[in-house]
Amino acid sequence: MAGPVVRVQNVSKTYYRDETPVPVLEAIDLEVAEGEFVALMGPSGSGKSTLLNLIAGIDRASSGRVEVAGSELSTLSEHALATFRSRHIGFIFQLYNLIPVLTAYENVELPLLLTPLSKSDRGKHVMMALDVVGLADRKDHTPRQLSGGQEQRVAIARAIVTDPTLLLADEPTGDLDKKSEEEVLTLLKRLNTEFKKAIVMVTHDPKAAACAARTVMLEKGTLVGKS
Amino acid sequence: MKFLPLIWRNAVRNRLRTILTLAGIAFLLFVLIFVMTGLSEIQAWEGVAATHRRVVVQHAEGLTAELGIELENFLKGDVISRHAEHVCKFNWFGGYYQDPKNWPPEFAVDPTAMRALFDELKINDEDFKKFSETKTATLVGIRLMQKYNWKVGQRITLIGTFYNANPELDIVGVFTTKDPRQEEQMFFRWDYLDELLQNRKIVSTYWMKARSDEDIPKLKELIDAHTRNSSTPTETITEKEFANQFMQMMGNIKAIVAGIGALVLLIMIMMTANTMAMAARERVTEVAVMRTLGFTAGQILSVIVAESLLVSLIAAAVAIGGSLLVFNIGGFSPSPIYFPVFLVEPPTVLTALGAAIFCGVASSLVPAVRAARRKISDGLRQVV
Repeated sequence: MAGPVVRVQNVSKTYYRDETPVPVLEAIDLEVAEGEFVALMGPSGSGKSTLLNLIAGIDRASSGRVEVAGSELSTLSEHALATFRSRHIGFIFQLYNLIPVLTAYENVELPLLLTPLSKSDRGKHVMMALDVVGLADRKDHTPRQLSGGQEQRVAIARAIVTDPTLLLADEPTGDLDKKSEEEVLTLLKRLNTEFKKAIVMVTHDPKAAACAARTVMLEKGTLVGKS
Repeated sequence: MKFLPLIWRNAVRNRLRTILTLAGIAFLLFVLIFVMTGLSEIQAWEGVAATHRRVVVQHAEGLTAELGIELENFLKGDVISRHAEHVCKFNWFGGYYQDPKNWPPEFAVDPTAMRALFDELKINDEDFKKFSETKTATLVGIRLMQKYNWKVGQRITLIGTFYNANPELDIVGVFTTKDPRQEEQMFFRWDYLDELLQNRKIVSTYWMKARSDEDIPKLKELIDAHTRNSSTPTETITEKEFANQFMQMMGNIKAIVAGIGALVLLIMIMMTANTMAMAARERVTEVAVMRTLGFTAGQILSVIVAESLLVSLIAAAVAIGGSLLVFNIGGFSPSPIYFPVFLVEPPTVLTALGAAIFCGVASSLVPAVRAARRKISDGLRQVV
């Protein structure tokens, strides 16, 4: 197996409600190898999304180390974290979170605006990503003109367009019908097997988790099992 | 530039709100341009006056009182001639043409002195000869000719309001000059006015040209000392001071304009800030998503400020374009009597543009900073 792309060591996260500490994650250890597909399962409030946010560098651990693609995230400034995210992370949200005023093409192009690529090079990357998700012909449609499944596929194209080191998906099928759910899961599996993308996916759904090579169970902020 | 489509789409996301905000800013900028143009028109005479060495002798009590004709002999005598030349009787007539709305600035002057005194006016020699030879002659500025579609050789009648006389004047020539305001004026002969007023020898002011800048204080001293104990004491002032006294008559107009300008700017900022705050609040999740994609807080801030700036600049373009169209091209004046010319000048345009930029930045700064500083995880959790 290749070296870990994610290394979480003894990580805890505590939120404060007024002055009362609310522990969400406690002493988590997790490694994700390069090209590995890991599902994070657990009941609501178990800390799955919080752990995903820590790995994505959009939240900071209260203690412990989170190392992704060779960067120890706690040492990075906010600005450096933003650069880290743009280079290494592709994020897929449960509610797609496309920008409603932009077309599918423009939504996918958004992360590329942060790169020094020319307009024509950006165009090539965007069309390639839309082609992978099978929506090249819907490039001029706005999110409102797309179905939920199509929106999520555009969101996946946006996540992969920069060729990130790691794909993070927060319940990517949680808001989809059965057919769309299957399409999205097939697409994620293809990204893992064909494009060798490391994926960490948060899910409630055992069927979705079955697509992953490994499932990690979280309960009340601690890892309780692996399969 | 690559963020422009995103900025534009966000700016027009809620079209009705954007149009209303834009219209509001454009209207307020139009008010600002209007008020500032009024002020610049009032000040324009001061500016022109400062470039000449013309000196005005008026009654010490002000313009409503008249001067004696006998003063002319002293002004044209040896003592004053050493310091000034081209002494000219100068009466503002204050009459209208056909309709009380048509109130061009008309002045009764001495034909011999006026040409040298107002040497910035370009008058054809032949036209001036006719003006000198014909008692009922008038010389008219080119813009005034165009305004009323007058022709050389035409006879026009002015209806007096200040003086009880209705001079019938023959247009003998046209003059041009650099300042469009002066091209809205007309001159006719003082002796003709005097004839219509039954030779009452009414002189409201005497104008002359100082031989040098150093002669001006000397002229003030000599003339006012000469008349101090007479029945018509005088006040001798420069043309610039003469122009300035009209401004004083209107009160502290600069302070009023500054006050209106500040108020306009404040309302603009409050209105745009409200729009931007609403827009930012609606997009909390989107901002969090963009930051997840790798946008820095600074880039988010720039995008939101640029959006507000874009709306303000479009409003500025509408207001500036509209005012240039109405006033400079259309020739509209809010009061042809007080403002024969109402021209939006480049400094006014720049001020309006500056106000729009300031409004755009100032109004969006607080919502933009708040959006950029919000924790990404909080933004993603927000349900709008």
